[in-house]
Amino acid sequence: MTRTRAGQIAGYVAMVLVVLAIAVPLAWVVLTSFKERGDIYSQPAIWWPRVFAASNYSDATTSVPFWRFLTNSVIVTGALAIIKFVLGIASAYGLVFLHFPFKRLIFVVVIAALMVPNQITVIVNYSLVAQLGYRNTLLGIIVPLAGVAFGTFLMRNHFLSIPAEIIEAARMDGAGHMRLLWRIILPLSGPTMVAFAVITIVNEWNEYLWPFLMADDSSVATLPVGLTKLQNSDGLTNWGPVMAATVLAMIPVLAVFLVLQRQMIRGLTSGAVKG
Amino acid sequence: MVELSRRGFLAASVTAAAGAVLTACVGSGNSGSGSSGGDSNTITWWSSHPGKSTDVEKELITRFQQANPSLTVQLVDGGKNYEEVAQKFNAALSGGAVPDVVMLSDVWWFNFALIGAIAPLDDLFGKASVNTSDYVDSLYNDYAWNNKHWALPYARSTPLFYYNKALWQQAGLPDRGPTSWQEFDEWGPRLQAVVGSGKLAHGWGNATDYLGWTFQGPMRTFGGRYSDQFDLKFTEPGSIAAANYLRSSIHDKKYAAISNDIANDFGAGIIASTIASTGDLSGIAKNARFDVGTAFLPAPNGPGCVTGGTGLAIPAKISDQRKVNALKFIDFITNTDNTSYFSQKVGYMPVRKSALSSASTQQFLAKNPNFATAVNQLPKTTSQDYARVFVPGGDKIIGTGFEQIGLRNADVNSTMASVQSQIQQIIDRQITPKLPK
Repeated sequence: MTRTRAGQIAGYVAMVLVVLAIAVPLAWVVLTSFKERGDIYSQPAIWWPRVFAASNYSDATTSVPFWRFLTNSVIVTGALAIIKFVLGIASAYGLVFLHFPFKRLIFVVVIAALMVPNQITVIVNYSLVAQLGYRNTLLGIIVPLAGVAFGTFLMRNHFLSIPAEIIEAARMDGAGHMRLLWRIILPLSGPTMVAFAVITIVNEWNEYLWPFLMADDSSVATLPVGLTKLQNSDGLTNWGPVMAATVLAMIPVLAVFLVLQRQMIRGLTSGAVKG
Repeated sequence: MVELSRRGFLAASVTAAAGAVLTACVGSGNSGSGSSGGDSNTITWWSSHPGKSTDVEKELITRFQQANPSLTVQLVDGGKNYEEVAQKFNAALSGGAVPDVVMLSDVWWFNFALIGAIAPLDDLFGKASVNTSDYVDSLYNDYAWNNKHWALPYARSTPLFYYNKALWQQAGLPDRGPTSWQEFDEWGPRLQAVVGSGKLAHGWGNATDYLGWTFQGPMRTFGGRYSDQFDLKFTEPGSIAAANYLRSSIHDKKYAAISNDIANDFGAGIIASTIASTGDLSGIAKNARFDVGTAFLPAPNGPGCVTGGTGLAIPAKISDQRKVNALKFIDFITNTDNTSYFSQKVGYMPVRKSALSSASTQQFLAKNPNFATAVNQLPKTTSQDYARVFVPGGDKIIGTGFEQIGLRNADVNSTMASVQSQIQQIIDRQITPKLPK
């Protein structure tokens, strides 16, 4: 009895610690975004802003073309998410349900692409894009990032787990490739697709290195690139506007996550109680 | 050993081969973009806008275009700091789309000069009619190597001694910086007695906050230095004495520590004094809720402070016409009026002698005594040692060595010997083979 009680308490303590570890830095970001400059860096630390100043938010959105960055981020992330989603599902479908020689070899090559860190391909991509004349364009940011080794890998392994009987039954009923994909396979793949979408969107939203190399000015800079303009390269940054911009940059992706997360749980539990 | 099946082996080798193919063959064919490509009437300038200077840089460009209506200048965001500009420039070197003018900081230009990526400027000075003798000597000579000059000074800063006047008064100290580090060693404990618990009399920078940069000054006053050209001096008696002073201020007398953010810690009153960049002056003044004092770095015998900051260089692979235009532009935005304007707006040092004595600068200095300290120290500064600025990664190795002494009380002799051997290795492997014979 006391043993389980102690275990329970330990469990709660652990939970609280984990929540704090995640929530405290976030809370600090949000609270700091409302502080006045003198209160941000002080000892003892001031946790609760003495006055809730919205000035950091107006600073963050007016001292740099924040809305331009946001639009660029939305375009880049949206385009990449759609391209990667379509490519990932189509290539995985091909690798699993079509019969052609060297299938396994092609898959291994795709996996190999996953193993190459993008810092290494940056130089070659750069010269390729520069030759195409895509530098400082949204196209130049999007095209080299649109490869989808991860999506192919994830969706292929999921497709393999779908019972062959279902596919056979559909084929016997005369379903072609499109019908098979739309009516049978995708409805069975909800949670995996959502996981794929969430990971892709979050990754692309936060992508820094490549957009930074491509963007020459504010017209194509995405949020992570543009927001560095709020920082001072001398090491003495006014953190208020930076935090405010961080909060603003978090909101869209947080919203996407909340919406998709519900789908993910619904997908996971559908049919669980049918027995 | 693990049994490897035939299929597993095949898969592994294909993986490796595909990886190699992806990295090696994708692009890098820059045969199409010749060396002289680009519009010779447009000057592309890559800058990190040091100290939030975007608007000031745009104003400089407007002035240039008014004076030279046939030329246009395009300002490009090179990155958020010097490292990012260098990284972006590195990527561009492979692709052919290089800028006309690129900002390269003290620790980056040499690397690009060594591989022939930036052009020596001496032959071009005449064609662009640049009067180099007007540049502040120490700043101009920072870019000298192999009997040539590889860049011109632009946003230049130096270390500066900052102190908290209120605490100075409480400790009964005269309202000035120490004249020697020995004197500060006596002041330290007296300050420590009044700063309060959890606070310190002095904060040294950490490896990323450029302790490797600022500590070159103290090193000199102890008779040591990092290197004389590529001849390393970390284990000479003077250098060891300086490192011992650093150690004792932290671990024996306990009035100092390595601070993770010197400018903000000082502004918040957590440390009573520090050595930070002159570029931090306006930010510190804004943050601090006390009277900020500034002073020269102690220099009882010869120079006690080095230069720093960034200059402007010209890529080697652009056409000669573009190079001349680029140099005209650099000359223009660092001329007497413009370097005065830039330094007053952003806080960097004026880079021309004529600007130091100009009426506009003198007026500004009269109103800003702390900035005047920085400017008056400028003629007394000296160029940095090769071990920090010419050796790739040298700054980090040196800074990390000092951090180990400061944070973990590491043995001074062995730490300095280890720094020396690490840097010597890099010199032997990466620099000596490429040096012109």
